[in-house]
Formats: sequence, structure tokens, C-alpha cells
Amino acid sequence: MFLRLVADSFTRRPRRKVLTAAALSLGMAVVTAALSVSLDVGDRLASEFRSLGANLVVTPEADSLPLEIGGVDYRPGNAGAYLPEADLPKIKTVFWHNNIIAFAPVLEVSAALPRVTYGDGQRSDPELQIPLIGTWAANRVPLPDGGVFVTGIAKTNPWFHVAGKWFSDEGHLERVEMPPMGHSYLPAPPECVVGEKLAARRNIKAGDQVVVGVTTAGSSQNMQQCDVTGILSSGGPEDDALLMPLASVQELADRPDQYRKLYVSALTKPEDEFARRDPRTMKPDEFERWSCSPYVSSIAYSIGKVLPGTDVRVIRRVAEGEGTVLRRVRALLWMVTLLALLAAALAVGASSAASVMERRTEIGLMKALGAGSGTVGFLLAAEQLLLAFVGGGIGYSLGTILARLVGQKIFGVAPAPSLLVLVAVLALAAGVTLLGSAIPLRRASRYEPAPILRGE
Amino acid sequence: MSAPGTGNRAMFWRIVRRLLGANRGRLFVILLALGAGAAVTAALLNLQVDAKRRITTEFRAFGPNVLITPFDRTQGSARESTLPTALADRIPPESEGGHVAISPSLYFIGAVYFSRARSVSHVPAVIVGTDLSQVRQFGAGWQWKKTLQLEGSGHPCLLGTKLYREASSGKWDHVVPGRSPKSPYTPGVMTGFDAIPCTEITEFSSGGPEDSQIFLPLHDAQSLSLMGGRISILQLNVPGTPKQVDAYIAALQQQLQGAEVRPIRQFTEGEAKIYDRISGLLTATVVIVLLLTGLCVMAAMTNVAMERRNDVGLMKAIGGATRRVLRLFMMEAALLGLAGGVIGGAAGIFLSVWLGKQVFGVAAEPRLIVYPVSVALTTIVAILSAYPLRRLASVRPASVFRGEA
Repeated sequence: MFLRLVADSFTRRPRRKVLTAAALSLGMAVVTAALSVSLDVGDRLASEFRSLGANLVVTPEADSLPLEIGGVDYRPGNAGAYLPEADLPKIKTVFWHNNIIAFAPVLEVSAALPRVTYGDGQRSDPELQIPLIGTWAANRVPLPDGGVFVTGIAKTNPWFHVAGKWFSDEGHLERVEMPPMGHSYLPAPPECVVGEKLAARRNIKAGDQVVVGVTTAGSSQNMQQCDVTGILSSGGPEDDALLMPLASVQELADRPDQYRKLYVSALTKPEDEFARRDPRTMKPDEFERWSCSPYVSSIAYSIGKVLPGTDVRVIRRVAEGEGTVLRRVRALLWMVTLLALLAAALAVGASSAASVMERRTEIGLMKALGAGSGTVGFLLAAEQLLLAFVGGGIGYSLGTILARLVGQKIFGVAPAPSLLVLVAVLALAAGVTLLGSAIPLRRASRYEPAPILRGE
Repeated sequence: MSAPGTGNRAMFWRIVRRLLGANRGRLFVILLALGAGAAVTAALLNLQVDAKRRITTEFRAFGPNVLITPFDRTQGSARESTLPTALADRIPPESEGGHVAISPSLYFIGAVYFSRARSVSHVPAVIVGTDLSQVRQFGAGWQWKKTLQLEGSGHPCLLGTKLYREASSGKWDHVVPGRSPKSPYTPGVMTGFDAIPCTEITEFSSGGPEDSQIFLPLHDAQSLSLMGGRISILQLNVPGTPKQVDAYIAALQQQLQGAEVRPIRQFTEGEAKIYDRISGLLTATVVIVLLLTGLCVMAAMTNVAMERRNDVGLMKAIGGATRRVLRLFMMEAALLGLAGGVIGGAAGIFLSVWLGKQVFGVAAEPRLIVYPVSVALTTIVAILSAYPLRRLASVRPASVFRGEA
């Protein structure tokens, strides 16, 4: 009988129920969309913040103090310590390896540009002292687990723009014509990229060839010719430099397998008070929690563990700024979500209150027939709950679609549908409809059947 | 003909008044739904306008974003590779986005001397002269560690963590920044060596080249390096949207012909990208929330309006023309919308002020334009949601009274 009454109420006045359900679904769609976006936005924005470049820098622990002004190191050429390149793949073995999205080793030496040979063979300017930067553009790093990770300066420093293309990190063979014998394949000269100010000063264009000389620690002079593949614009000191593949600079400077500085770009969680504590003073369970959160400091710690003899420092400017902005934006979106929730709850509550109020006559009749206030309340609550689940379900699907649209449009990645949101939305829908109908129901329980049936 | 007209109008308003006052509970429910919609509209619109501006202020956390340097820093004499200190006064202190923070610094390679009893050692280091109080502001994200008090009179020094590690290895009595060693320095004796010892040293970590530098007051660094009135670089922290920052840089480049003005692209470009994303996200979320809230309020209102079947039937039965009956209900809806909008809109503006304070620590300035907009929107939504009543025009009074569906 109970079920029949509920079913009857739905089938006899479907339009009414559809309207209440529509209000409910729309309200819950707002909540779903806002919740999904807020839950997802932290991760999405964290990857957007990587356009600020590396947030960790690795230097040799035993290094002498760098004398760096405006990006130029004034230490004598052979001062300071170096790190082995062979250790680098280990970075992708740390616990947070999936959060490390790029890294690039750098070996910077002072070099001389003796002369520039233009494409048309003309001779030019006198010798010029320049910084020569050896790094990876987009190197294929074989990992211990058998995979390959493509990384380099183009990823750690996304504000570097190259007119032309980046050099290729691997050497290649070149077909050389040898008239009496036909042809042969010889190693081609390495490729390089020239900073835009240097290029302007020496009138270098992509496609030209540049000869560069380096005095090694052993006081021997090494010379190397390279093919210019692009002109670099960085807005920084690199605009005055020549960039070559790391391997070529190592060979030139006679520092096989060595680099001096490593930039690491990692996805992190903004640091809180707990993250700033010194890990050495933590209790074991605290340390466990600390190292299992992707704080920039715990990622730095785990990199330091796999690269012995290094000093891993957080580039505070990037990491802290990111944390501040991220916290604000998150708080902002939660506020928007809260507002959406509030509006939806009130509108849905009003709608269900209205739907209960109009049923005065029905309630009066039921009471006249001997139903207690509890039974009547229970019947109406069951109806409202059924509506809440149907409306909440529809609203959830609608909201998920909207959240996907927003995510796709703004970040290019749709947020994954979350079960948590579904549960939250259904619970909210049930709570709000019950609360909305509770007030008129309490009034209804005080109704005297007779005046209602008389239409007073 | 005027008398019946005024009579009609008086009747019209009387009916409207009665319609509104008839059921207090119902009135409350409708005002709640409409007011909530209006409050959220007002709060979101206000917050959205304000938040975008605030986010750009938050970008200050990334520190300076514009550098002013001599054209050629690496070549030429000391005079060519520095700028006059007075240049800082020629920089406009306000951009469209707010107050521009300016920090002049002088860099040179010298040495830091550590002494205890009769023993002295030194390390070559980059010495930076700048406004020390501004260092903390510009290096907002830097980690500040302990401060060590030393003997003697002089000036406070800030030591990068790498340099501090060198310094803290021995328990030094004196830490003295000076020029690269040519004449020997005797502990405690400053004659023939124009250096001023640090009265206290504070350790900090930036993760950048500053970690191996020592910071002194600008004036002391200038006299130490014999470069009085000269600086190597001006760092600016220009707030504002990416467009405003670009405009400021372009204007500055025009104005300062003798120096190179360039943005730190790492931050200007990164900030521009992130700003686009955040403002896009905010706009999209706000639009969706407003749209759905409007629809949701509308559905709730329609639900309420449909209750008026009986009233429509009765009015038609006693000879009310469909159009006049509808006009009555539309007027009722419009009045409700107006009231809901006025109350809700005011509540929403206060809500956004409070929320702004929660998120950004600074109360959002209420934009007055938001108020009429949200009242108008609410009224429109209310009228639109009464619109389905039009279908009641086809209601036959008799069937309503018989209680037929």
C-alpha cells in the first residue's frame, strides 16, 4: 500500500514531479561541476606552473663558491667540482619519479669564437670570449627499467624560444663525396644554437657554420666546428652564449661524462608548516608522512639520496611563488563551489518545500482516514528521497559533462569522474530535499483535517 | 473614461497585494529561492571582477619581473658597466596594476674575511650592495634562517646559505666583506683597509646564485668598491595583468634610452600563461554556476507558479480576460523578483566582501554596477519562470473546479 501510494503520486501528476526533479538535477549539476573542477584544479594548475621552469637545482656538494653575476660565472675555468652524467637516469628511479617531468644537465665553459665563416665564405670579426653552454635539447635518456625518457632544456626552460630548431643531441653520420672512390659516411659536425645577441653581433644566421675554441684544464686548445640550427631568444644571459649538445662540450673541455649544474622540474604540492620542518628532527612516522607527500623539499631529499655528492636546493622563488598562487586559486574555487552549493541547496529546498505545501488537502485526507503524522511524514519523505536520487543522478551526469567541457577547454584535460563527488552529490540532494520538506511537514503535522477538507 | 481605468488599476494592485500576502510560507519560500540566486549572482560577479586583479597581485610572490641593466655588462670599463644611482628616481613608481617596487643593487667580486684571535682566512665572493630591508620583500619566497650577533660596529650582513656554511665552520669573531686581497689584513686593525665588519650575519636560502653572495647596505658596498653613486642593476617588481606589465616595459624602454630594460621572461611569460588559465577557469566556472543557478531557481519558481491553476481558473470563471489574468501573475513574479534581487543582491555583496577577505586577506571592493545587474537578472529570471503560466490560458475553468488534472 505504501509503495502504491508513492508510485501513484508520481504517475498521477508527472509534470509536477518533473519540475521538482528538474530543479533538483540542475542544482546538483551545479554542485557536481563546481566540485569536480575544484578537486581537479590543483593538479592541473601545478602542471601549468611548470611553465615557470625548474624548481630544483642540483650542484656538486664539494663545489667552491660560484662567483656568479647576472648569470655569468667569474670563477677561473678549472675551479670547482663536477658531477657524473652517468648517474642521471637514477633520478627517474626515486619514489616520486612520475612527478619529475623534466631535467637538464648543464656544463658551462668559457670559450672563444675565433672567426665566423659565413654561408658565402666571407671572413669576419676578431676573436670574442663567450660562454659556451653544453646541455640537452631533447635527449633520449635510457632508464634503468628499460624505458626511455625524453628530456632537456626545452622542457625545463619553456621560455627559451628558438627561431629555427634545437640542435639534435645525438651525433649523426654525413654522406661525404670523395670523387675518386665515390662517397663515404663520416661523423657530421655537431649542431648548435646561438643566442640572439651574439648572433646579432657576429651576424650569424641559421644554416651558418661556427668554429669555437676552448682552453682545457690541461691548457690544450680544442677547436670544434658546428652547424647553427637556430637562434635562441631567452631574455637572459643565454642570449650572449653558444649552446651545444652536452657531449660535444664535454669533449671540447676535456671533461668526459661531467656536468656542473642540473635543473629539475617537478610537480609538487604547496608546502605547509609541516613540510618546512627539518626532516632530521622528525619522528619515524612523521618522516614517513613527509616523504610520502610530493612536497618540493621531500622530492629534493629523495633526489639527493640517489645522486651522491650533490647539493639539491629548492629554487625558492619558483616554488614559494607557485605555492602562494596555488593556495589562493584553490581557496577561490572552493569559495565559488561553496556559493554554488548554497544557491543550489536553497533553490532545491524551496522547490521541495513548495511541493509539500501544495499537498495540504491530500495530507488532510490521509489524516482524516486515520494516518498518523509519522506515517504521512514517512510517505512524503520517501517520495522526496526517491526524487532526490533520481534528480541527483541526472544532475551528476549533467554536471560531469559540464566539468569535462570546462576542463577540456581550459586545460586540454578533462577531470576524471569521481565516485566521491557522486556520493557527495547524492547525500547533498537527499539532505537538502528532506530539509526543505521538513519545515512544511512539521506544519502539516499540526493540521486539523476538518478545516482543510472544508477548504478553509 | 478615466474613472473605470483608475478603478481597474486600483483593483489590479489590490489583487497583486493579496496574491503576495495570501500565504506567508509560500512568499518566504519564493523569496528564499530568488534571494539565494541573486546573492550568488552578486557575490560571484563581484568576486570574479576582483579575483582577477588580486591574482595578479599574488604574482608579486615570484619577485622581480623586470631588470634594468647597462647595455653591455661584460665588456668595457667599470663606468660603462654600471648605471648611476639616480636612475632609480626616473622610474615611474606606479603602473596601471599598482605600485612598482624598485630595488637598486651593486655587484662586485670581492672577498669575505673571517677572523678569530690572530687567525684570518678569506673566500672570494660576490658582494651585493642593496637596500637590505627590500631584500626580504623581493626575496619573498626565500627561507630566512638564524641570525648571529658579532662583535664590533659596522652594518648588518645577509649571507647566502653556501657562504654562511663557510663562515660558520669556525666560530668567527669578525666577518668582514672587503675587496679582493692585495694588502694583508690584520685582525682587529682596519687601517689601510677600508672595510666595515658585519655586526650581525643572517643566513638565507634562495636556491639561486644569491646562495653564495653576501648582501650589505648599498652605500657601504659603493664605498668599498670605490664606485660611489653607481649601481649594476635595477630590479623592478611590476604588478598587473600581462598586458599592463608589457605596456609599462614599453613605456620605460622609451624613457630610459641609456639602459636596457628587459622582462625576466621566465616569470613574465609563465605568469601570463597561468593568468590566462586562472581567469579562463574562473570565468567558465562562474558562467556555468550562474547559468545553472538561474535555471534551478527558474524550475523552483515554476513549480510554485503552477500552484496558481485554481486561481487562474477562478478568475477566468468570473470573466477575467486571459491577458489581464496573466498580467497579474507576471506582475506578481516581477515584484517577487525585484524584492528577492534587492535583498539577495545586498546579501551577496556582503558575502563577497567577506569571502574576499577570507581568500586574499583583503576585502573585495564592492562594485556598485554588480548590484543593479544582479537585481535585473533576478527579476528577469522570475518573470521567465512565471512564463509557463501562459499555458494556463487554455485552462477551462469548469475542469479546474471539477478538480480534473
